[in-house]
This record gives sequence, C-alpha cells and structure tokens, in this order.
Amino acid sequence: MFEAQSTPEGIRLAGRLDAAAAGQAELHFDDLASTAEVDMAELDYISSAGLGVLLKCHKRLMAGGGGLRLVQVNPHIAEILHYSGFDMLFEVVPASPARPPV
Amino acid sequence: MKLSLTRELSEIQRIVEARRAFFAERGLPATLAYAVDLATEELFVNMIRHNSVTTEAITLELEAVQDGVVISLTDHNAEPFDPRDVAPVDCTLPLEERRTGGLGLHLVRSLVGAVHYTYQNRCSTVSFVAKVEPQHV
Repeated sequence: MFEAQSTPEGIRLAGRLDAAAAGQAELHFDDLASTAEVDMAELDYISSAGLGVLLKCHKRLMAGGGGLRLVQVNPHIAEILHYSGFDMLFEVVPASPARPPV
Repeated sequence: MKLSLTRELSEIQRIVEARRAFFAERGLPATLAYAVDLATEELFVNMIRHNSVTTEAITLELEAVQDGVVISLTDHNAEPFDPRDVAPVDCTLPLEERRTGGLGLHLVRSLVGAVHYTYQNRCSTVSFVAKVEPQHV
C-alpha cells in the first residue's frame, strides 16, 4: 500500500514505493515545482522504480534551480539511498531517533 | 513455498504477502525482509520487462536454509537473460549523467550478494540467498 500527500513543503510519502506504485507516485511528483521536501517518515520501502521517480523529478527541478530534499529518512531507506549513490545527489536528512519512553 | 505469478506488477503485493507468511511460519528474522523483498521485486520486474513475448506464469520459490532463505524465480518459455551480464552501475556519476537502468540489479548485488542463474529447456531461473550476518564478538 502506497500513499502520497501534498504538504506545504512538498510531499509526504507512506507505505511501499515499489514498481507497482511508481506510476501513481510519478503523478504526484510531476506537480512539484522549485524546491520541495519529500517527507519519508512513513515510507517503509523503496525499490529502484521509486528511486527512478525521485531522480527524474530531482533532475527536472534542478534544471530550474530547485531540487528535492529528502527528510525523515529511516535507516532502511537511507541504506538504499547510500548503495545507489543517491545520498551524493540529494540532501538527505535522517529521521530523528525515537524518543525514549518516559 | 511455491507461488505462480502472473506477469503483472500488481503481483508484487502478493509476493510480499507470501514472504511475510513464510517468514512468520519459519521464524525467519525480520532483518532479512527488506533485502528479500527488494531483490525479489527487482528480479521479478526484470523478468517481466525482458520477456514480453510470453504470457506464461513466473514461478517463485522460497526455501528456508540455516540462518536464512533461498529465493528463486523461474521464467518459462524465455530467451536467455543472465542478470550477471548487466554492466555495473557507476554510482559516482554526477546527477545529469545518472540513469536508472541497471540500478535494480546493482541494489540486488549490494543487498544479497551473488545472484545465480541457470538456463535449461527455455527456462530462465535466477536465485539468491539471504542470510543473517554472523555476529562477531
């Protein structure tokens, strides 16, 4: 299950961004302009198809002087971004560590 | 566990559900889940995209082994397509030169290591092993 929602800063992703969801994701990313934040706090999974959507949008926005900023990135997604070299292409902000129980 | 998959991307959801059920049944560690899901998806999608002349189902098999799982995917009535022949991706290229072709297999290699390939009687089979890394004390 994949969900994308517009936010004032850009877009919030949730669930699994796999090859089956990439088309749906692309429609949302096509609406982004200038500089946009991609909130990945609720994103559980991304495959190369999802990375392709990010790359295509980032290239388009960079050509106009903007770009994507990936925020609230969990360790699994961060590992995928690292293996693909995307951490060198995007600004990546890791998720804050979970607050210890009070 | 054996599963017959139609050549549709919507089958990825069924693959994940089957993997979850298999992991729960065999007590396999959740730490392997992401690598198994990603490698299985990438190899399945490759089979669909590189063999568009058939409508035959793709067979997915999951087998528990010590400390891990062996996953294999078999494409029936296929021309040979050895994923090991796909050129490595240069992840150091600047943004304007980056393409996503080959990225899936690059991630598979990064997450699960070697992919095995056999071709016999027009059947292409790719498989990989995902194992828990031994803990060094």
